[in-house]
Amino acid sequence: MSAQFDFRKELITIIPNLRAFATSLTGSFDRADDLVQETLVKAWDKQHTFQPGTNMKAWLFTILRNEFYTQMRKKGREVQDVDGIHAMQLAGHPEQQGHLDLQDFRKALEMLPDDQREALILIGASGFSYEEAAEICKCAVGTIKSRVSRARTRIAEILGVEGDGDYGPDSISSQIIGVAPAA
Amino acid sequence: MSDREAEDKKLQTGQTQRSQQSSGFGINTAIGKQLKAYYDDVASEPVPDRFLSLLDALDEAETASKKNDRE
Repeated sequence: MSAQFDFRKELITIIPNLRAFATSLTGSFDRADDLVQETLVKAWDKQHTFQPGTNMKAWLFTILRNEFYTQMRKKGREVQDVDGIHAMQLAGHPEQQGHLDLQDFRKALEMLPDDQREALILIGASGFSYEEAAEICKCAVGTIKSRVSRARTRIAEILGVEGDGDYGPDSISSQIIGVAPAA
Repeated sequence: MSDREAEDKKLQTGQTQRSQQSSGFGINTAIGKQLKAYYDDVASEPVPDRFLSLLDALDEAETASKKNDRE
């Protein structure tokens, strides 16, 4: 009973992160919450497979991501929103008004390939290590690193951010050349 | 308010920002900051009640089925 209760409690603390990750994957607040709901049901059903003491956040992110891509495959391309609809849905969220910078950033994120966007979110916002992100995405650590690097470069280009900290135009172009495609 | 409800309220509004440390990512760069702002915009919202209700329902369903197994 107490183990049960702890699982529930832990689950609740991670829901805000799941919602944020789901929003970045789906590009829609409504679909994000539906995805989180499905994730919670799945996680509950397979809670016996979770090993206490291991990273529950990574475990849940993996379930959510699998669920998302399973749905994508089932529905085919129909789930790929037209850019405009995507952006409109996001703009409709009450919390979003007055965040012009954030809107621009959101649009820039939307323009990234799915694999680069998710790598950027996992590393730059969700607080995962490269190793954890690689495990969640079932790919090599080097692949995650190169996706993050390409995503940052692309975002900087789209937003016209010059010198993102240590990123000058020169280092951006040398990075493009320097990043080998993941084997 | 039951203990569990009180606990939930705390969880809903509380410490969801545990992972402030960034993992090897320039958090102070322009992109790093915007990325966090984008993410926290959703991640800082309280947990919607629908999810708490869902977990309650799952909990109850499980308890009920265990009871049935015993009978």
